[in-house]
Amino acid sequence: MALVGFVTTADYSRLDWAWAALAAMTVWTVATTFGYAHRRGRTVRLLSLDLLVTAGLLLSTLALQYPSELQRGVMPVTAIWVAGPVLAWAVRYGRAAGAGTALILSGCDFALRHGSAVQALNGAVLLLLAGVIVGHLSRLAAELETQRKHMDQIEAAGRERERLARDIHDSVLQVLAMVQRRGLEAGGEAAELGRLAGQQEAALRALVGMGDGTGSASPGVAGSESASGPGPAAAPGLADLRTLLLTAQSAQVTVSAPAHAVLLYGEVARQLTAAVTAALDNVRQHCGEQARAWVLIEDEPDAVTVTIRDDGPGIPAGRLAEAAAAGRLGVSHSIRGRLSDLGGSARISSVPGEGTAVELRLPRGDMRVRVPLADSPLSA
Amino acid sequence: MVVDDHPMWRDAVARDLAEAGYDVVATVANGAQALRVAAAARPDVAVLDLQLPDISGVEVTRALLAANPAIHVLVLSASGEQQDVLDAIKAGATGYILKSAARADFLAAVRRTADGDAVFTPGLAALVLGEFRRLAATQAPGGQADAPQLSERETEILRMVATGLSYKQIATRLVLSHRTVQNHVQNTLGKLQLHNRVELVRYAIEHGLADEPGERPAR
Repeated sequence: MALVGFVTTADYSRLDWAWAALAAMTVWTVATTFGYAHRRGRTVRLLSLDLLVTAGLLLSTLALQYPSELQRGVMPVTAIWVAGPVLAWAVRYGRAAGAGTALILSGCDFALRHGSAVQALNGAVLLLLAGVIVGHLSRLAAELETQRKHMDQIEAAGRERERLARDIHDSVLQVLAMVQRRGLEAGGEAAELGRLAGQQEAALRALVGMGDGTGSASPGVAGSESASGPGPAAAPGLADLRTLLLTAQSAQVTVSAPAHAVLLYGEVARQLTAAVTAALDNVRQHCGEQARAWVLIEDEPDAVTVTIRDDGPGIPAGRLAEAAAAGRLGVSHSIRGRLSDLGGSARISSVPGEGTAVELRLPRGDMRVRVPLADSPLSA
Repeated sequence: MVVDDHPMWRDAVARDLAEAGYDVVATVANGAQALRVAAAARPDVAVLDLQLPDISGVEVTRALLAANPAIHVLVLSASGEQQDVLDAIKAGATGYILKSAARADFLAAVRRTADGDAVFTPGLAALVLGEFRRLAATQAPGGQADAPQLSERETEILRMVATGLSYKQIATRLVLSHRTVQNHVQNTLGKLQLHNRVELVRYAIEHGLADEPGERPAR
């Protein structure tokens, strides 16, 4: 840059010294490049030195150029090179430092031209702008870095906690199962305690099934898939159906699912879960509190099927159709309606004496994950 | 043989088995010990907790069967049917039961395991179904080992087991004998275990773990 200023060497009264000044600038640039390269090098000392050297070289223009040329508006010998310390200070100490440095150097520039400030104004404004903007961006970057480190720490702690939790869960589950067993054997009050323990065991087991990352890590080779127990959703907007349905698990309700995640769009999954919950409520209503139910999640390439079967008395043949024909709300409307809104179907079958089975089938489109409501199912 | 790292469970299980008339040859607390003792005592049935301190229950299953193919392994899990249970079944375990199952159910499961019959829970049936489907879906076109296929009948029966129906109920519904239903279920496990063994061998060859020295992995 300075070379451009040198084109009209007529401006320079002492050409040799001007070349020396240029050489000094080059050397200094190389020195600071190495100095700033390492974090440890960015000391106040180096920065201050940088500022001094730059200002000095800037002011040396007084000695090197014809004053008349300066008045005319020719660039000082350092030209744009003065921006160096401004940027360095801005990166290291932020906006204020950048602005301050810019002002100092601009001040020097003004001093050079004693009086005709107008030419210097342009340069001053640009320096100031550069200082402030770079300072701001530098601060932003530093803050993001701190936040990221913080997040990493939290994540690592979380993973550690999960690992410990798994061992503890297992121990707790075993003790509860033991209490249940002994309670049943002992009878009387102990049996009640055992029953309660059994309930808690079922609940904790369901929770463990939902929250755990992997099952016991098998050091084996092929055959152990990387997709393990239910975990967080694979991508934003997607939900693992198993996690949602596992909340229904209890002493009476068994939820069975494949070992890999069954992914659906969040809204679709929630709607499906609501339908399943409605079916389970129905079971409790019609078959009593003690009735047992099994929920099966199946994941086929072209559809997701959830089957809910209970061991109640079952619905006599024809009564179901009767209820639908009579337009009674409940099983028929709520569940079927929800499923057809999602583009799926509900099938209710019953074997008198062996309970009722509600089969909810949700076809997938061409993609693995359906677009909710927007298009009707493409597959038959 | 009983393998479990929780002393209370170990003793309880051993006691129940003894009371039911079984001959408990050993109770061990970790995988390495289990393998050593199995080699010496040669039990017919191993009741194995999947959560062990040193080696995973899945590895122990594999090793036990490698050392003695006639052994029947019943795996126990406290936390329910997850990937590790599926892996244990694929590795050759005969059956699976939850630790919190009732004593009577547990003893029945041991009886079935001793006879070599598969012991299924609805959760396990769902895992197995899911595994077959996953294998079918992720099969590379033109892959060396074909994904095992379930016949329609087998799929139907597995689905019924997964929704809580007993073999007896299934037999009645499908107008089959109890034994036939059992065989179908057995076959599904067999297919899965065979596929797993084939996969292991293929993996070993591909990664140069084969016996021949200087064998280059076939890519």
